Amino acid sequence: MLLSLMIIPLVAAALVPLVSKRQVPWVALFGTLAAMVPAGSVLTSVNWTAAGTQRLEERYGAWLPDLGIALNLRVDGVSLALVLLTALLGPLCVLGSWTAITQRVRTYYGWLLVLQAAMYGVFMSQDLVIFYICFEFTLVPMFVLISLFGSTNRKAAAIKFFLYTFTGSIIALAGLVYVAWFHATQMSAAPVVASVVNAATGASESAGALAKVSAWTFDIPTLMKTAQQMPLSAQSWVFLAMMLGFAVKVPLFPLHTWLPLAHTEAPTAGSVVLAGVLLKLGTFAIYTFGIGFTPMAAVEYAPVVAGLAVAGILVGGLICWVQTDVKKLVAYSSVAHLGFCMLGMFAMNAAGLQGSLLYMINHGLSTGALFLCIGFMYERYHTRSMHEIGGLAKRMPIWATFMVFFSMASVGLPGLNGFVSEFLCVMGAYQAEPTKELSGLTGGNLGWKYAVLAGVGMIIGAIYILYMVGKVVWGPLKEPHHDDAHGANGHAGAHAGGHHEGALPADLTGREIVTLLPLAVLCLGLGVYPKPLMQVLEPSVNDHVRLTSKARAELRELKGLPAEDRAIYLKNQFPGKGAEGGTGGEGEKKQAEPAKSTGDFTETGK
Amino acid sequence: MNPMDLAVSSAEGAGMLGGMPAFAGATLMHYLVVSAAMFVIGLIGFLTRRNLIVMFLCTELMFQAAGIALIAFGRFHMNHSGESFVIFVLTVAAAEAALALALVVLLFRRKETLDGTAWKELKG
Amino acid sequence: MQLVDTVMSLLSLATMGASDAALAGGAASAHQLGAEPTKMGPLALLIPLLPLLSVVLITLCAVFKVKSKLPAWITVASLATAFGVTVSVWQQVSATPGAHVSFGYEWISFSWGNGVGQSFAGNFSLYIDQLTCYWMLFVTGLGALIALYASEYMSHDVGPGYNRFFTAFSLFVFSMACLVMGDNLLMLFLGWEGVGLCSYLLIGYFYQKPVAVDAAKKAFVVNRIGDLGLLMGLLTTFAVFGTIEYKEIFKAISTGYTSSGIALQGHWSGIVIPALLTAGAFGKSAQLFFYVWLPDAMEGPTPVSALIHAATMVTAGVYLIARMFPLYTVDPNLLVLSGVAWAGAITAFWAATIAMAQFDIKRIMGYSTISQLGFMFAGLGVLTTTGATFHVLTHAFFKATLFLCCGAVMHGFAGQLDLRKLSGVMWMKGWGIVGVAMLIGCLNLAGFAFTAGFFSKDMILAQAFVTPDTKIIGSSLVGWLLLLTALLTAYYTFRVFFRVFVGPVQYEPGDEHHGADDHGHGHGDHGHGHGAAHAPAHDKGHGHGHDGHGHGHGGEFHPHAPGWAINFVLAVLAVASIAAAGLYFVNKDEHGWAGHMMARSSAKFVAPGEHHGDHAAAGHTAPTDEKVADAAHASAGEKSAKDEELGTFLGQDPHKVMYYVSGVLGLIGIGVAFLLHKQGRTQAATSPLAEKMLKAPIFGTLAPHAQRKWYVDEIYNFLIRVPLLVLGHIFHIIDKLFVDGLVNLAGAVPVFTGHSLRSSQSGVMHRYAAGMAVGVGLVLLLAVLVMI
Repeated sequence: MLLSLMIIPLVAAALVPLVSKRQVPWVALFGTLAAMVPAGSVLTSVNWTAAGTQRLEERYGAWLPDLGIALNLRVDGVSLALVLLTALLGPLCVLGSWTAITQRVRTYYGWLLVLQAAMYGVFMSQDLVIFYICFEFTLVPMFVLISLFGSTNRKAAAIKFFLYTFTGSIIALAGLVYVAWFHATQMSAAPVVASVVNAATGASESAGALAKVSAWTFDIPTLMKTAQQMPLSAQSWVFLAMMLGFAVKVPLFPLHTWLPLAHTEAPTAGSVVLAGVLLKLGTFAIYTFGIGFTPMAAVEYAPVVAGLAVAGILVGGLICWVQTDVKKLVAYSSVAHLGFCMLGMFAMNAAGLQGSLLYMINHGLSTGALFLCIGFMYERYHTRSMHEIGGLAKRMPIWATFMVFFSMASVGLPGLNGFVSEFLCVMGAYQAEPTKELSGLTGGNLGWKYAVLAGVGMIIGAIYILYMVGKVVWGPLKEPHHDDAHGANGHAGAHAGGHHEGALPADLTGREIVTLLPLAVLCLGLGVYPKPLMQVLEPSVNDHVRLTSKARAELRELKGLPAEDRAIYLKNQFPGKGAEGGTGGEGEKKQAEPAKSTGDFTETGK
Repeated sequence: MNPMDLAVSSAEGAGMLGGMPAFAGATLMHYLVVSAAMFVIGLIGFLTRRNLIVMFLCTELMFQAAGIALIAFGRFHMNHSGESFVIFVLTVAAAEAALALALVVLLFRRKETLDGTAWKELKG
Repeated sequence: MQLVDTVMSLLSLATMGASDAALAGGAASAHQLGAEPTKMGPLALLIPLLPLLSVVLITLCAVFKVKSKLPAWITVASLATAFGVTVSVWQQVSATPGAHVSFGYEWISFSWGNGVGQSFAGNFSLYIDQLTCYWMLFVTGLGALIALYASEYMSHDVGPGYNRFFTAFSLFVFSMACLVMGDNLLMLFLGWEGVGLCSYLLIGYFYQKPVAVDAAKKAFVVNRIGDLGLLMGLLTTFAVFGTIEYKEIFKAISTGYTSSGIALQGHWSGIVIPALLTAGAFGKSAQLFFYVWLPDAMEGPTPVSALIHAATMVTAGVYLIARMFPLYTVDPNLLVLSGVAWAGAITAFWAATIAMAQFDIKRIMGYSTISQLGFMFAGLGVLTTTGATFHVLTHAFFKATLFLCCGAVMHGFAGQLDLRKLSGVMWMKGWGIVGVAMLIGCLNLAGFAFTAGFFSKDMILAQAFVTPDTKIIGSSLVGWLLLLTALLTAYYTFRVFFRVFVGPVQYEPGDEHHGADDHGHGHGDHGHGHGAAHAPAHDKGHGHGHDGHGHGHGGEFHPHAPGWAINFVLAVLAVASIAAAGLYFVNKDEHGWAGHMMARSSAKFVAPGEHHGDHAAAGHTAPTDEKVADAAHASAGEKSAKDEELGTFLGQDPHKVMYYVSGVLGLIGIGVAFLLHKQGRTQAATSPLAEKMLKAPIFGTLAPHAQRKWYVDEIYNFLIRVPLLVLGHIFHIIDKLFVDGLVNLAGAVPVFTGHSLRSSQSGVMHRYAAGMAVGVGLVLLLAVLVMI
């Protein structure tokens, strides 16, 4: 079932050269739609909201047994959400490019389908090498999509995109391989440790068996156990390597410059996939490996990463405000948004991690939708400059409605999806105050200052999004002057001008509405009732919270700091005076409670 | 080892095996010197001449120099691998010559010259 | 799943008829802070859901391109029903003491442990006490009335614009219901930003006018700044209390300890949390630095100004402080409340000075709203939640009346709002009701004796003098400032009335036309240009191409007298404005109806440090009616539980003399306005005495500056907007040159290396061969050397 997720798009891609040119979009549409079937069955086959870690695994045995590389796939709550997002955006991308792509149709849809398969691979892979192959392979289709189907400066953008992210990934690969090497040496040096590790993994027996043969394995859960035992110095180096690689993909603040360029030049579907899924590869990898492999280093350097994230929020936001290209504005807004995502992630508490994971999904939905909207506008006017267009609400009311709706989702209006994740990220940062003297805090090494700065970012977010909406959607109608289209016919929306065979009407067509509607429904749904998704993500979040709080305790021990113990504080705080009347007893009860639970995490799952 | 040792040992080998009737005094060293001379002549020719055909002939010269050396070594070791190798090389060289000359003809047709320096497409 | 359950129970409720929600009975008693709230049936959930249903239905109308007044009727019906439900809920709440909670579904709630403060509950649930009912009664009631008014007012835009208007209108009432009825701060935040969105959409309703778009953006962004305070207040509340639910917060305050055992007495959170929440309240209610968005918000259609920017949304800040009043009184020094009192008074005075010099009557009303909101905040600050909330209620009615009258004028005179171009409207045919309603509204606003506005303003003024300066810093000074403001208020209110509604009949039509969706050409900017710069000839230049709706231009203009809906609503509101005065005499022992309601809600004032005793009373002795009355007294501050020394007004009991003082001040203001703007005025543009005043030394120099709004917008632009924009540009340049430059530099290294090695690649075969030969030679040489 999981493998079919990857195979279906590949089969469709293989069909693309065989059918006639006119049928190619249909093949792509059916291919992406068909991939939704296994995605849907993954969703329904497991009760994801049940307590404890839920997962779905498929093992296809060894691929390169000497190196312990195996084709194993697994979906847990986090990857489920991302797989579903990928599956949803697939057909929407095809629909969104239906009329926009008229040249080299085969190349376009073929690579789009291959890209789809690679993205599924990243989220489902259970083997580090397979993960890395898929991770890197997403570059190739994207490179083709940008360099062949982009706008004027597409070649430079494609090359920069490829080289920048590729360079980063190579460094990350070094870190990952070091972990595998560390594991292998651990195994051969101390067979006792190795057998303990293997026993501990439990589920990955075959990987353990392989390890006995070669001592090398790339099984992610096995490596995770070993990697967490690395000393702080080793963890720091591995963490640095991984962050260099994955942070480029995210993109974290100073490593972001490829993104606006790539987004601006990419075709609509390229931007949608790029913003919707490809950026999430980076956050997903940091979540899984950055924190999962090297929790101590992640805790140690959380303020640095969070500082960069906040810088991204503020600087990215202010840069958005001075853009004149709509698409570039939304691209820079991704820098700011992903800053929130990283801030929440490195708060490393329940609220922050939940918010961060939700942000991955929500950003994919709202920003993907914004790119689609802008794409539809671009198809009609062939410009994205806010100097040339304005007041399109007059000409395209339906489009304007969607545009305002998704902008509001992007701004983080309560009731829409963006708010839930943004709020949780900010809350997580606030809660991660070093002191734990207050009951609502979780401990950590961020704090309210980060939350306030991110909150300022929310204001800037409102400024630049409303600036864009005010320019493009509202205001007096302004359309670019094309000699051919602005004739006596008067319906200036349809800039036929020989660009398309069939001119588009002024406002959105049924196909375009169908493209945007699922996203709008999800934006609203996830904003009004995010509970199911949060439940799906919860086990993984709890695992991470447990992991990082353990790492934090170890780190404090390492540095000779006293343990964070809330019970001690509470004992000092309670003068015993509150113990009168009805609530006094409650106070006592509460007093006793934290004393027995020294860690601040639940024992859910497993 | 030095070249003198080589000469001594080859002389010994020749003597041990009963020598060669026609060139009784010739040792392996002689053959190798001829081979090396031929190769260097070919190399110099290739580097200095601009005519494609002459350049091609020079490469053939270097080829044959290698062949002589191979045969000499084969004789020296008293086996036939050197000779069989040379026959193989000659066959390939014949095929190659046909191809190469055809290429030269094509190149000539393109630019109406046999000057090898006229082709600078690989210039960086 | 809970969502489904809730919907199911709502459906069953709808079929079975209302009020099956069985409520636990009990002796009537005061709202006891921290007492466990009663569970309530889902009936109350209908109040937010009815407007939401209306949103859905009107969206369907938009989808099916309905071109009739159907959306208006849907809105009116749903809001009227919601009002009915509110009344019913209120009845239930009155029958059972204390707060009620109605659970909807879990919105953002999760937990990360079993300990204290290790779970976050942001549920979609309602917290209903008398304060909630008080607010929702006028929100839904006024909402329904103004929707009815708008059905006619917006009739030019029947079609897409009409649908858009009423969708946002209904969504606004939904958001307001969430704001007021939510049982936690997150719900409040949902409503808070929700009303902000609706305000944005409705201010920008005439979206082809750049002024309107800018005003909408400004409103949203300025509100967002305040919202940051609210958000941080929410997070700090959670950090300290481990919960954001009102009932838990109140329980903690009443015991003096949070659930994790932090003593609240003297804790820093007692100042920080209220201060942060106040920032949010200031943003929404346009106080102090945040007021600049409200005058611009008058670009929206007038019903919007009436409902959102006068009666309901802008009072959300007052609601927030009233709701969280227990938090504000944790701090024994009441520092934040002192700040609120001063902020309110200063804003009231500041806005009044600007209002005196404006010419756009809607803008004058806008500034007067800011000023009146200042009164309310000052009321909260000087510890009379009763006075503040009563003023909210009376203000809601009379300001809605005033706005709707302005709207009728605007509607009838093609958008004309300049008081120099209209005169004697009351004497025109068909404008009688408008004129009378306007007079009633003006009398209320001016604080004319025995009007509702008089009583409510009076409560605040008196209390400002009663509350000792030791408790609220400079309370009596606040009172003096408010008295001065009251004088100015009376003047600028009647300046409008005497200029526009009485005097010689004269008018000049505006350039406004409705129907942003029907007319392609740009709108004029009514209410944007001001004063002398706004020459009449300039106005006449506009408006060509306007021919759609029976306002022909060029000498044939006929004022378009209001129809039945507008007249009906104006009549009802005018009557309500007068009748609101009666509420002062209901429950007189508890300082009127408002006091009665507040005493049974969280807005009741309990002196710092007395929460605990209060709770003990709740726990041990059965509350009696006597207790209620006492609490009410405390609320009004007339007689504090402790024998504190109370302030006086020039040695007199403020509650007795303030009636006369403020009444006389109101009369003086009206008199001055009469002299300046009615006496001897023969034309619309100017009056003789006003002319003279403008030439007088002090007024003459100050007036033009006041008319330019003391340049606050320009200062903000210069101090905040421009630096940020410059920063944005700088960052953009740094990003392009430096950050990206480094990347490009890294990319340039291989390029440079390649370039420098380029010359070695001549392309000539001989060179390559020579290179190869040399290479082979070198290798051989090396091999030989190694062998030796």
